[in-house]
Amino acid sequence: MDEPPLLSRLSFESVLTRRYVVASYWLVVLFALPLWWSTTSIDRLSLPASRVHAQQRRNVIFPVHIHVNSTAISDVAPFIQEVQQRLKADTYTLQSSGIDARVSDRRLDSSAYDVVLSRGSRDPTVQDRRLFFDIYPEEDGLSWMTSVMRLTDTVTQLLAPYSTYSASTVRELRVMKYSPRYRLAFTLLNEDAASGNAAMSWNIKESISSETYFSILDRLSVLHNFTVESQVQFHAPLAFDPRTLRVNGTEEHGLTQEDLTVFINSAEWTLSSSVSNDPVIHFVLFVPSSSHSPLHILDYDGLRSRSNAFMLPQWGGIVLLDKSSSSHLTASDLDPAFTIFRYQLSTLLGLPDFRFACSRTKRASSQIGSSMRYCADAHWKTWRGVQKRWRASWAHAAASSSVAVALRHSSRALSLSSRAFFNPGMLALLYFPAEHKYAVYTPLFASIAAPLVAAVVREVLAWRRSRKQRRAEKIADARPVEPERRKVD
Amino acid sequence: MHLVYLVLILCFNLSRILALESREQFDEELTLRPLRDGKLGARFLFTTLLKGATPRRPEALLTMTIHYTLFPLALGQVLREYAVTELHLTLNAGNWNYGQWGYPDEPGVGTGAELWAWMGDGAPITIDERWQGLRNALAGLFCASLGSLDEQRTTSPSLTFQPEGSLPDWTTAHQLRHATLPSEHVCTENLTPFLKLLPCKSLSGIARLLNPHKLFDADWHGLGVHVRYREGAGVEVRLAFQAVFDPVRYSHDKRRDWSLHSVFDRSIDKACPVARSSKVRVGLPKDRYMISPDPSVIDDRFATYLVGAAGEALDVAMQWPEEPAFQYLLASGAEPLTDISVRRTLKGSSQSQAQMALVITNNLPVQVQASYLETMPWLLQFYLHTLRAYVDGVSRDDLVSIISYSPPVPHSRPTLLQAILTLPPNNTLQLTMDVTKTFLRYTEHPPDAQRGWDLPPAVIIPFSFGELLSQNHSMPAAAGPALETRPRRIYTPVMLVDLATPDFSMPYNVIIMSCTLIALIFGSVFNLLTRKFVVVLVDEPASKVSPIESATCG
Repeated sequence: MDEPPLLSRLSFESVLTRRYVVASYWLVVLFALPLWWSTTSIDRLSLPASRVHAQQRRNVIFPVHIHVNSTAISDVAPFIQEVQQRLKADTYTLQSSGIDARVSDRRLDSSAYDVVLSRGSRDPTVQDRRLFFDIYPEEDGLSWMTSVMRLTDTVTQLLAPYSTYSASTVRELRVMKYSPRYRLAFTLLNEDAASGNAAMSWNIKESISSETYFSILDRLSVLHNFTVESQVQFHAPLAFDPRTLRVNGTEEHGLTQEDLTVFINSAEWTLSSSVSNDPVIHFVLFVPSSSHSPLHILDYDGLRSRSNAFMLPQWGGIVLLDKSSSSHLTASDLDPAFTIFRYQLSTLLGLPDFRFACSRTKRASSQIGSSMRYCADAHWKTWRGVQKRWRASWAHAAASSSVAVALRHSSRALSLSSRAFFNPGMLALLYFPAEHKYAVYTPLFASIAAPLVAAVVREVLAWRRSRKQRRAEKIADARPVEPERRKVD
Repeated sequence: MHLVYLVLILCFNLSRILALESREQFDEELTLRPLRDGKLGARFLFTTLLKGATPRRPEALLTMTIHYTLFPLALGQVLREYAVTELHLTLNAGNWNYGQWGYPDEPGVGTGAELWAWMGDGAPITIDERWQGLRNALAGLFCASLGSLDEQRTTSPSLTFQPEGSLPDWTTAHQLRHATLPSEHVCTENLTPFLKLLPCKSLSGIARLLNPHKLFDADWHGLGVHVRYREGAGVEVRLAFQAVFDPVRYSHDKRRDWSLHSVFDRSIDKACPVARSSKVRVGLPKDRYMISPDPSVIDDRFATYLVGAAGEALDVAMQWPEEPAFQYLLASGAEPLTDISVRRTLKGSSQSQAQMALVITNNLPVQVQASYLETMPWLLQFYLHTLRAYVDGVSRDDLVSIISYSPPVPHSRPTLLQAILTLPPNNTLQLTMDVTKTFLRYTEHPPDAQRGWDLPPAVIIPFSFGELLSQNHSMPAAAGPALETRPRRIYTPVMLVDLATPDFSMPYNVIIMSCTLIALIFGSVFNLLTRKFVVVLVDEPASKVSPIESATCG
């Protein structure tokens, strides 16, 4: 468009003023942006995540003292030295489990493990925190060396059972997730009590409080709190039909390995109450109905397996009762089942078979780790109170030197963080739909943004044109003759 | 410490072995009553008694072990966790027709959900916190929206809801919490967890008849869970299912003959092996009938069958051979079956004002006292000064005495009105009261706001028949058993109130409208500020065009 003649210019019209106006509008928009951002974003409180991760990377080392009781051998010092050296050299198994084993012939503290050496050729036996180990009676170098290696092996296996087994991952998968509280739900499950073969009641109180079972709960009381509930169910239909077998002319029934995976009929059986969120470890004593009795477990070849119990990883254990002799199961009737339950419990809790190992310390370290991960990995808004308390307990847990104290604090931190996680207020924060915001914003923002953007584009275009024109004028000024000549023409 | 524990265990075991068989007992009973309008009332009752048990003291620590054989574990855990002494939960669908069906076997027949509990005080956790936990736990257990029985619906009408069992003699007092949710519907998802609480599920015993397809087809159905403490006996759980079937509707020739198979589509084929007693009782009608098979025990009111005694499937059937088709009674000619009849209505077409009317008829020839309870959510607010009582059109305000009234607090607390009404013999008392309908906040409306709000039933308990016992009047047929037992609650039908509902798209309209206005104003101001004005000189003076004309340079 042509530049209007000088006469037509209005006094208030100026390119600069217009540009100031546009710029000031945009300035307001730019300054408003942070305010908008801070008022609409979700408030997340910070957790000391970096400290937690740093702590996690730190390897926890548990010093373990092994006291060698060597009355049977005269010169024990080189023997101990050799064992110590071999344990130190074994970087893979022991150090990956975070165990620093010290062997000495003097008792350093009361919590040391004892190795009682004697001469003979019996297999090593374990009793509580004592290992009875026989070294070969021969005095020659070869048997001495073999004894050293055997002892090293045994001690390593006892201290770090999981890392020495190739199936360690399978074992770890069975273990329940750590929780400060567990509920043990015992169920006497009759498939069909109306059909005859049934156990109407059981003396579970005595069985649970018996020395074998109760002692394990008592021993674990530092780590976990257990609540025990039990019930009897009289009708628990299976969701499938067990396979019928003919053995020596009599009819028997079998559960194939596939059947075991679908054995628990959760739709129809209520095996535990739902009064709290604590994880439940189920123990089921299943009494088959008379039409399915006797019931056995079959191995992969379809042959009857010797065992009548199986375990579901991270869920619990099931024992099939062969034949109920009477309608009331006494404590002695329940003894075999509860021996299995005890074994299943220790497996589900990740306790090694030998009490020799430092299971407590291992659990402690895993618990601290899981508590920290739990909190730090999820970037959610925590309650201010929880955040404060969690920080406090975490600080304690990280700082405390005693394992038991660290355990207590970290377990508290874990329960606090899970409380924060299950806070119903979290849901609204996590699932606030952005579409709602845009639905409200667009009618206003879109219609206001259009003239603003258009004004900027217009000014930029005008500025480019005027620059081009000025350049053209400059060129014209440099060669003033030509236009004159043209005019003349 | 350990030794003491072992000794304790030993002592306990000795006593347990002695009392093993009888520590928990389970009884089941099915009562069938042919009703006079051709329907069939059925009541399943499953009673489990935990002998020698006492409710948990609220201040006592939770024990770490809990062992049940017959007692429902899921319910027991809830009771223990929240230290509930007495608990009543009913979930009903439909209106109980007192006029035709008489008193129900289970008194709690209010439409929707009703929950009330007596709890001891003195725990570190307050009663209200435990009440909330109880609500949520039961909501989870029974898949019902009991969680919404919040403080906006919770009252403490201790006059009407007296404990049915006994309250333990603790140093701290017991308190009542009561809440109703009339809009709650009952369906299969509530029955399934209910059946799981039974020791024999629905697989044997009379629970075999609890067939959801038939039960939820009934004219009226409801389930109830009642826990009470019986001094000297123990803690008792009663699980009840009530239904009113219509055999006339099921039959093709309009007869009211029924059998277990025709009503439930099942028969009792197996006895529950753990039931101490398992009975089917059939109420005997006054007219001529046939019943098969032969009952085990028969008296003038009930025929009783013992389940499992015959050793074969039990299928009770009742026939009226002389009746070709069932004749419905005329409502006006029928003799009333209850002591009093109640009708409650909400009048008025305005969205802000209404009048509530209660019509109570005393069917007895004596003066009756009755307690009247309204637990109204704050949606409806009473003008108590407008409460008027009329008998035969004559104002009789002296017949109403207010026992307690706590006014509602909008958005937080319901109204509680308890009054004692004096009902003159064989007469009708009319109560009217003006009410105001509240204006709700936009977010307080339920998803189907146009449907309106269900208001909980009023509860009337006739209690003082003083003169009746001394005089020898002829009484209505069903009044007899009423006097034998405790005062019975009568629930009025629920009401529906239509509150002013906004146009729910309005906020969005407002947003769009104001955005458009702002955009318009902004646009024109912005345009004026950034527009380029030029003066156009017009050569022709004849032209009438204004000398200044705007032009944009874009």
